[in-house]
Order: sequence, then C-alpha cells, then structure tokens
Amino acid sequence: MTRDHALVQRMAAGDERALGELYDRHGRVMYALACAIVGERADADEVVVDVFGQAWRGAARYAPARGSVGSWLATIARTRALDLVRARGRRSRALERAVQLSEGGVANPVAADDAPDRDAERSETRRLVTHALTDLPEPQRRAIELAYFGGLSQSEIAAQLGEPLGTVKTRIRDGMAKLRALLAGEGI
Amino acid sequence: MTEHEWLALAAPYALGALDGKERAAFEDHLAGCEQCRVEVESFRKVAGQLALVAPAVEPAPGLRDRVIADVRRVRPLASRIPRPASRLPWLAAAAALVLALGAAYGYWRERSDRLALEQAVLLVRDSLAARDSLLSAVLAPGVGTANLAATGKPPSARLFWNPARRVVVIAVYDLPPAPAGRTYQLWGIATGKAPVSLGVFNPGPSGRLTTAMIVPAELLFQVTAVTEEPAGGSPQPTQTPFLLGEVRRSE
Repeated sequence: MTRDHALVQRMAAGDERALGELYDRHGRVMYALACAIVGERADADEVVVDVFGQAWRGAARYAPARGSVGSWLATIARTRALDLVRARGRRSRALERAVQLSEGGVANPVAADDAPDRDAERSETRRLVTHALTDLPEPQRRAIELAYFGGLSQSEIAAQLGEPLGTVKTRIRDGMAKLRALLAGEGI
Repeated sequence: MTEHEWLALAAPYALGALDGKERAAFEDHLAGCEQCRVEVESFRKVAGQLALVAPAVEPAPGLRDRVIADVRRVRPLASRIPRPASRLPWLAAAAALVLALGAAYGYWRERSDRLALEQAVLLVRDSLAARDSLLSAVLAPGVGTANLAATGKPPSARLFWNPARRVVVIAVYDLPPAPAGRTYQLWGIATGKAPVSLGVFNPGPSGRLTTAMIVPAELLFQVTAVTEEPAGGSPQPTQTPFLLGEVRRSE
C-alpha cells in the first residue's frame, strides 16, 4: 500500500492528522491546478478546501485500482474548479489565455523546474510530465490544455480556435497518444 | 461505428472532451467493450498527470488550517456502504407488479392483441422500476431530508436527498399548477454560495407531485428552496423563494 493510500484509510477512520499530511503532500499541486483553472486566488482557496473536504467524506470510497490518490484528488479539484468557473459565469483562466493568444500555454517548464517540493520523487515526475507536454507540437498541446484546464469539449475547442472539428479531434487523439508514449518511456 | 472509431474516442473521453451525446454513446459502448475500457484507463492515467504541469503558486499559509477546520464540521462517511434497510419496498413492488400484470393481461386478452399487451407490460415494468428507484433513493440510510414550508400554510414540500446516488426526490403538496409560461424551480443552496438549480417541475391540477432530480456533481447544500420562474427555469432565482427548508442529515 502506498503512503497516500494509507493516509486515505486513516482519514476514513476519522484521523484528522492523516488529512493534514495528505494536504502537506498534495495541497500545493491542487492549489496550482485550481489557480490554473479559476484564476482568482480566493476561488482557488475555496476549491482546495472543497477538494480535501470531499476526500475526507469520500475516503472510504477511494478505490486504488482506479488510479493514484494524486489523480483522484486532481479529478475532484478539476471538476470542482470548472464547476465554480461555470457557476460564476466566467471563463476559465486557460481559456482566457487561449483567446488572447498570448503566451505559449499553461505548462511552464521554468516554473515547474523551480518549484520546490518536499517530495523529490514527485517533483521529478512533475518535471518529466511538463517536459513531455512541452515536447508536443504546439497545436496538440494547446488542444489538450484547453480540454483539461479549460473544460472545453472538442467542438467547443474547434469553435474557440476557429479550426475544423476534425482537426481538433486529430490533435487531441495524436497528442494524448504521444503523451502516453512519452510518459510510458519515463516509467510514469 | 467500427471498433477502430470507438477506440479513437478513448483519449478525448478520458480528457473529458466529448460532447454530451457522443459521451453517452461511448459510455454505452464502454459497458460492453473491454478493449476500449483498457484504452480509457491508460489515457486516464495520462490525464491524471496533467494536473502536475499547472504553474506552481504558493498557497496562503492559513489554507491548511481552513482545510482542517472545514472537515471538523462533518464526520467521514464510514466504509459500510448502506443497503436499503428493508425488503418491504421490493416486496410491495413485486406484489404490485403481479397485480398490474394480471390486470393488464385480463384487459388485453379479450382483444387478443399481443403487441399491445407486450407494450402494456413494458410500460408497467418501466413505471414500477421508476417507482422502485424512487423508493430506494428515499429509504436509503444517510439520506438528508428537508421540510419546505411557507410559514406553516399550504403549499408544502418534502425533499429527500441521497448524496450517494446524487439524487433528490421532492414531494409537493397543495401546490397549484404554475401559471401559463411559468414553472417551479428547485434550488440547492450551500452556505454563503449562490443557489444551484436542481431542476424544474410543475404539478398537475391535483396539486401533488413526486419527482426525482439529479444533483450536480460535487454539490453539497444545506438549504433548499422553490421559486416560480419563467418556463424552462432560470440560471439564478429571479424571485424570493416561497418555499424554504433546511436539510437535515439522518445518519
């Protein structure tokens, strides 16, 4: 059993210290994810409180077979952040960026490399994933980021970028396949 | 669709990028296709890693305390996933099914219309399955309830909320049908947040209605309210609620 899984089991038994430790291990990533989607720090705070609240209440239902604790939390955080953005009637931060056609995208290898992390192994994973994403051709990467951080469907992405739907579908499919191969090559 | 075309949907599905209809069709397909399920799982892992690329932002130092303080308000859901406590609803449903089938058969036999009989059987089965599902949603342990009242006078309503199944069942009493072009809308309100629509409903001339609605993913609410809105409902209430109630959790 992983350290994370053990923490989640202790949470299911009502152990608040386990929750604190889970926050110490994942709070920063969840906060960064929330910020990337909602933009406002106050909203990101709210998302993070909700994520760990939900993890606390749902700890007994966590199924390791369906993925790591980190991706479980990330799924909750992404859903919650996108819900919040929609409830506010706003656009996600990722979408704002895409519309402005400003900087390259969400992934920022410099920031990721610089990010201190108490867990060296996770920090290494983050570096590898960021580099895998930045290795993709720009249009593929942008489509994937708009789907993940922007919460857009393929047809919404096509409309947003003014590209044919078939092109967007191909980019997502090819980009994800390439990402999978790159990450598998790194043993992730 | 060919198997190859289905397989191509696995990546966008794992990324949450399929449109509603396409997603529903793919989920149907997934139920019976091991190959696609494996493909989806592998892409889910990839999507799960994307969270890591979000640029690092230092959380406020007080956030950890807020997280802990927040959960002190609620106990974790224990691992015993509750089952319906009683078999009675099933027995009642089974008895009703036998009676209903008998009645349907008696009625239709004389007309020796096999097709119509089968049709009737299906209808009865559907309506019983729907009722059964309502009953089990309402009777499960851990269901929150709220009495919605307008200062003790009619109309009134009772709400049952089954968080595990993300379903609310609302039963309304003495509520006349909404005026032409209007509808009633049910809201879930989390403390300090904007109301979230749970759905619209409209009772018949009897003034009574029991209906189920899907609760949006991750929504937890403490207060529930009903307003009258333009047909089709509103994104946010346009009126002061005429029915209001607080949710109580039964553990």
